[in-house]
Amino acid sequence: MHVYFVYKQISCNKTEKVVRFKLRTKVLLHKHRFVKLVCGGIQFIIHWGERQMMRKNKWAQASLALTLVCGMVVSGCASNNGNGNNNGNAPAANNSGQTAEEGANSEGTAGNNTADAKSEIEFMGWGGDSEKAVFQKLIDEYMKKYPNKKVKYTVVPPGEYYQKLDTLIAAKKTPDVFYAGGAHFNKLVSSDQLLNLDPLIESTGAVDPNNVWKAALDRYRYDGSIVGSGSLYGLPKDVGPWAFAYNKDLFDKAGLPYPSAKAGEYTWDDMLADAKKITVTNDRGKIDTFGVAGYTLESAVWANGGDWIDYNTGTVTIDTPQFAEAMQFVADLSLVHKVSPSPDDEKAQNGYARFVAGKIAMFPMGPWDQPGFWQLPFNWDIAAWPASPNTGKTATWLGSLGFVVAKNSEYPEDSFKLAAYLSLDSESQKQNYELGQAVPNLIDMAKGEFLAMDKAPQTRQVFIDIIEDYGKPVIEVGSKNLKWLDTFWQDASQVWTGKKTAAEFVKEEQPKLQKLYDEGNK
Amino acid sequence: MKKKTTGFRRKEMLWSLLFVTPPVLGFLIFGLTPLLTSFGLSFMSWDMMTPAKFVGGDNFAKMFEDEKFYKSLFNTFYLLLGIPLGMIVALILAIMMNRPLKGVSIFRTIYYIPVISPIIAVSLLWQWMLNFDYGLINEFIWRVFGVQGPNWLGDPNWVKPSFLLMGLWGGVGGTMVLYLAGLQGISSTYYEAAEVDGASRWHQFKHITLPLLSPIHFFVVVMGVIGTFQSFSQMYILASDGGPEYSGATIVYYIFQEAFKYFNMGYASAVAWVLGIIIFIITLIQFRFSKRWVYQD
Repeated sequence: MHVYFVYKQISCNKTEKVVRFKLRTKVLLHKHRFVKLVCGGIQFIIHWGERQMMRKNKWAQASLALTLVCGMVVSGCASNNGNGNNNGNAPAANNSGQTAEEGANSEGTAGNNTADAKSEIEFMGWGGDSEKAVFQKLIDEYMKKYPNKKVKYTVVPPGEYYQKLDTLIAAKKTPDVFYAGGAHFNKLVSSDQLLNLDPLIESTGAVDPNNVWKAALDRYRYDGSIVGSGSLYGLPKDVGPWAFAYNKDLFDKAGLPYPSAKAGEYTWDDMLADAKKITVTNDRGKIDTFGVAGYTLESAVWANGGDWIDYNTGTVTIDTPQFAEAMQFVADLSLVHKVSPSPDDEKAQNGYARFVAGKIAMFPMGPWDQPGFWQLPFNWDIAAWPASPNTGKTATWLGSLGFVVAKNSEYPEDSFKLAAYLSLDSESQKQNYELGQAVPNLIDMAKGEFLAMDKAPQTRQVFIDIIEDYGKPVIEVGSKNLKWLDTFWQDASQVWTGKKTAAEFVKEEQPKLQKLYDEGNK
Repeated sequence: MKKKTTGFRRKEMLWSLLFVTPPVLGFLIFGLTPLLTSFGLSFMSWDMMTPAKFVGGDNFAKMFEDEKFYKSLFNTFYLLLGIPLGMIVALILAIMMNRPLKGVSIFRTIYYIPVISPIIAVSLLWQWMLNFDYGLINEFIWRVFGVQGPNWLGDPNWVKPSFLLMGLWGGVGGTMVLYLAGLQGISSTYYEAAEVDGASRWHQFKHITLPLLSPIHFFVVVMGVIGTFQSFSQMYILASDGGPEYSGATIVYYIFQEAFKYFNMGYASAVAWVLGIIIFIITLIQFRFSKRWVYQD
């Protein structure tokens, strides 16, 4: 599209000078009639000479704005990469090393000739180079075992994964097996994109549901309206219990006993008292060591008997007193008690970096943090999340990512077998926990060798307790569209910075979130 | 009148068609098709998974109640402030560079480097510079003025000024080059005549330099407005999720989020069209008014 300028100069001589100068700065010269400037996909043409030329192209002006629109959408598309969100799931688990007994068994028992028929399935996941290498190895071994089963493995950067997946689905080129978790699983299953795995579990016997965490499987159940019960539509890739870590050395230094690993024994009040004793100010008046950082709001709210939403009725429930009280408790850790870094402090150096530097006594962690924490120069362990003094209960979230099979897959049975192999093969599960990536999906392994593992955290039972007892699915699992929840986290900064009290905030915020939830999910 | 097409002419026509086809095809596939699709989608609700539903004008109605739409629109208009700011600085620089200085080309190059630097890398560098505690800028403010600098990217009131600062640094080189070209195109006879008439330096600047540069002013303003309305990458890097209280989100960023985070393709298309219409109107106004102040002889 062209915008025309009349660029007439005082003398011919000067015009040429201008043109020559511009030539050096990436401007194209066209037969001495006009200069074309290409900028952001739009061409500007400065021309001199007859005026009629400009009139002829009056329409060109009008179309300028129109082309911009699609130009912008396209450019928005193209420049998206890097840090996307993973929808709150446990990051990359590493699997490797493979024998595939289960697959072999089912092949034998199936007894019909389709089991060994040629097939080619596509498997898509996300992850960095290390995850890619591990999965590639796993798949290569699978293909060596079953020469007739070809698997094409595609890796997408995490930030682009769901964009790519949704585009493939829209183009009806859905991969056969792929990752899905959280709200996206909900969206996929409720749009009827996923294969019901129940019949295949029965017919192939490739999965023993009694040896897989109930909480992990329930995450991938869907009864036609709500996620959490009904038929199985996915298998867990991993489970991520969000635990409460503490720096043993800092507790020792302050002469304090360690927080209890048993749920309900260590309360908010205990934590606050300990945190106050541990928090140290340096000689310049700045707080050097904080008692706690990144205290998880979900834990506080759920422990106090509140919740974000009731998915059965679709009501946003943040405006309850329990919710407000819990939120205020978390905000006051830094606002009133100064035992936790403020949002400004967090921006300068985040809680993770401070904890790793030994400047935080209590800090949340997931199993995937273990490899990083194994290198720490101080001793650490995990404890149960502090309980609310009002209810005596505690809670935290349990993350998970799953393998799902496309409903329109050409080879549903082979796809299911691949998913089962990736999800539950004992050899790869073993590797996975030894690398410190996740808690095994297999219950016997988790309660056996995983608990006995000779590496920090010592009290591994806490992970198991979270999975079996007080871990709740992340908030988003019942949603298809997360705009309401994202808006909550964005706006919550008003409470963290002390601009509003939690009670004021939740009252104002509830109608707004309700509207957003209704728009995106009903 | 009818003329038989000679073999030579026909051959020539074929060749011309051959040359014309690629750009036409390119436009049809990458220009017109998305354009029409997005127009159609703006009246639908589509999440890319379930079939699109026709919803009439709902998307447009929703926009007018959408707080984030207004916020991002306001942010975008706020960033337009960068245009006059950039013009002033660029003009001053251009005038300084327009003198026979030693090593002037080195300076010109230095000022032009930001223009050709990739915006993602530049944004990441600025992220460090603008850091509240460790950033170079706050360090400088502390050393020179002895006060704590603002929390640039963390404070809703400072996010947009941060973008302006960044935009100024990044855009001034390009504008300066345009002004330089304009300045060199002004005949020295005007200044000589003015000097004979006893005009001061300031008068010369005001009555000769500024008006004769008006085509450049116009060009810079039009490009600046369009560029500002399109700004996206800096926000994507520096203000994750729109920045504190959505203070850093521009309208294109908002469209991107709606389309590729929440997969509200219909709504995103509707916003894109409204944005298109806004740019269209603004550009039209600019052209209308240009007759009054842009110098053409």
